[in-house]
Amino acid sequence: MADLTLRDLEVRFPGLERPALEIPALELRSGEQVALTGPSGCGKTTLINVLTGLERVRHGHVDWQGTDLVTLGEGARDRWRAANVGLVMQDFHLFPGLSAIENVLLPQRLARFRLPRGAKEEARRLLKRVGIARLDQPVETMSRGQMQRVAVARALLAHPGIIVADEPTASLDGDAGTAVADLLTGLAREVGATLIVASHDPRLVGHLGRVLRLDGGRLEG
Amino acid sequence: MFRFILADLRRHWAGVVAVTLIVALATALGVVVTLQERALRLGSARAADAFDLVIGAPGSETQLVLSSVFLQAAPLPLMPGSVLAGLVADPRVAWAAPVGFGDFVEGSPIVGTTAALVEGVGGVSEGRGFEHIGDAVIGASVGMRPGDRFHPQHGQVGGPGGVHTEASYHVVGRLKPTGTPWDRAVLVPIQAVWNLHRHEEHEEHGGQGDSEGQGASEAQPGQAEPHSFFAPAPASDEDGHDALGFDAAVDPAAVADAGAPGLPAIVVKPASIADAYKLRQQYRSERTVAVFPGEVLTRLYGTLGDVRFILSMVATGAQALVGAAILLVVTVHILQRRRQIGALRALGAPRHAIFAIVWSEAFAIIGVGLCLGFAVGYGAARALSTAFTAASGITLPVTFEPADLFRLGLLLLVTGIIASLPALLAYRQPPASALRG
Repeated sequence: MADLTLRDLEVRFPGLERPALEIPALELRSGEQVALTGPSGCGKTTLINVLTGLERVRHGHVDWQGTDLVTLGEGARDRWRAANVGLVMQDFHLFPGLSAIENVLLPQRLARFRLPRGAKEEARRLLKRVGIARLDQPVETMSRGQMQRVAVARALLAHPGIIVADEPTASLDGDAGTAVADLLTGLAREVGATLIVASHDPRLVGHLGRVLRLDGGRLEG
Repeated sequence: MFRFILADLRRHWAGVVAVTLIVALATALGVVVTLQERALRLGSARAADAFDLVIGAPGSETQLVLSSVFLQAAPLPLMPGSVLAGLVADPRVAWAAPVGFGDFVEGSPIVGTTAALVEGVGGVSEGRGFEHIGDAVIGASVGMRPGDRFHPQHGQVGGPGGVHTEASYHVVGRLKPTGTPWDRAVLVPIQAVWNLHRHEEHEEHGGQGDSEGQGASEAQPGQAEPHSFFAPAPASDEDGHDALGFDAAVDPAAVADAGAPGLPAIVVKPASIADAYKLRQQYRSERTVAVFPGEVLTRLYGTLGDVRFILSMVATGAQALVGAAILLVVTVHILQRRRQIGALRALGAPRHAIFAIVWSEAFAIIGVGLCLGFAVGYGAARALSTAFTAASGITLPVTFEPADLFRLGLLLLVTGIIASLPALLAYRQPPASALRG
């Protein structure tokens, strides 16, 4: 659903002599499943921030299916991200005090004033799909594995063409990690979304078709 | 979004409650100062309503008003009895009545006066007015009933003093409630006060009585010697029945007698406003001083206004400090939740939604605190007024005026502006911080 063409990317942070990220060219095909690995501090998170429009890029092109994020302002990147990217984060970032289904619906509620038609049904369907039985259970009473599954359901609600996960299994134990890994790859395939996962987890990396290895801000191989 | 805000506030309920209460108390402080000062103005102005013009011997005008209108004990000089005679005969005077201070009964001052003043402060609600020298009309909140009899006590309220067992007043009526210190007073004919003290004088065989007894001597023209308002006099021993002439009928002519004893204060109701000014002019002389209680009160309010200004500056300062402290707390809180806010952005929440959330939360907490503060302040002012009324008899009406609502609106507006500072901080927070670090 979304091809990525990345050209001449260079990200520098103030006070650092070398660029944090320097990628002359990278292409992803729509529906591809990509693992992003490398030692910590190699630029994985920076690349993910760039690909999701969270980080402002001043040098190069980050073109998703004809939309160059470099040319978009902050508000436009927010809108683009809300419409095209589903994010799963290491710390889940679920909001305590709200139920599972409220958490799934929250980004949509905040992005537009009213929920789009069918959003609630879709949220219920997705929560069932990820194996959450009690939709109104407060998230703070859930296990970590359950929390990350709610986060996966949340990432998929808006039918994004791109799913980005940042160490989604790093804070989960073995079984829960495997379940989340299976869900991510399976669901991305079901909806035909491009999946980008930054991870050290071999269970997850092994499932993915392509591995990008980052070191010192450069892609290897 | 609303649910998110509610859930967020509920999660931090302890902090929310603490901040709300602090805001409420700081606001209440300012509200109490404003409301109470206004209540004091209104209450004292109403208490002085029935007293258009007060005439006394030269001395402190403020003391004259405080003593005659508000029944605050203090030594006042006497003026000759002929002054009252002149006033009663004056066609520009609707009525004029003496205010002479005798003794006490059960904490209520006994005020010697005439039937004119009984009518002047509102008339009786039960019973009747004076007919005999020994009749007494009690204020609305005096704890006696028509038909009761009582002996006057010497001295001040709560102070040492004997009881005039030889004198016995008969309560014949009760005044209508006035919301003034007169609700706690006991009114008797001025002749009773004169008779009682002349009698004491007699018992004492003259001597020091000249400077002490209320109607001790026939006032000499121009005499203005210091005189205790609530003259303490030694208790006399038992005497024959009605040596004081309490059973005799009240003779209105007696007070109009040019040779009547001296008086500390005369309350005058002029026939018209023009007459009021003429009378004031005429009685501002070497022998007497005439004041409008209103002008004395205005002067007092001037002083009171300065005090209020200082108090409200203190209250405003407290509010500003509280505001600054809360702003700091909110800012630190926002910085601590940097990642959470970033996560909301990363998940697709637009910046204006973040702004709206933070602004709404800050505004809700401070706004509720402000409204609560106005309610608490109003309640506290009412409680203070009630306590003051119990102590002084002056009703202090606590009123809420449109100006107060305007002030609340203004404070809410300022809150809205202040709340946008942390909201702006959150708005400008880069979303990239959501993912690690």
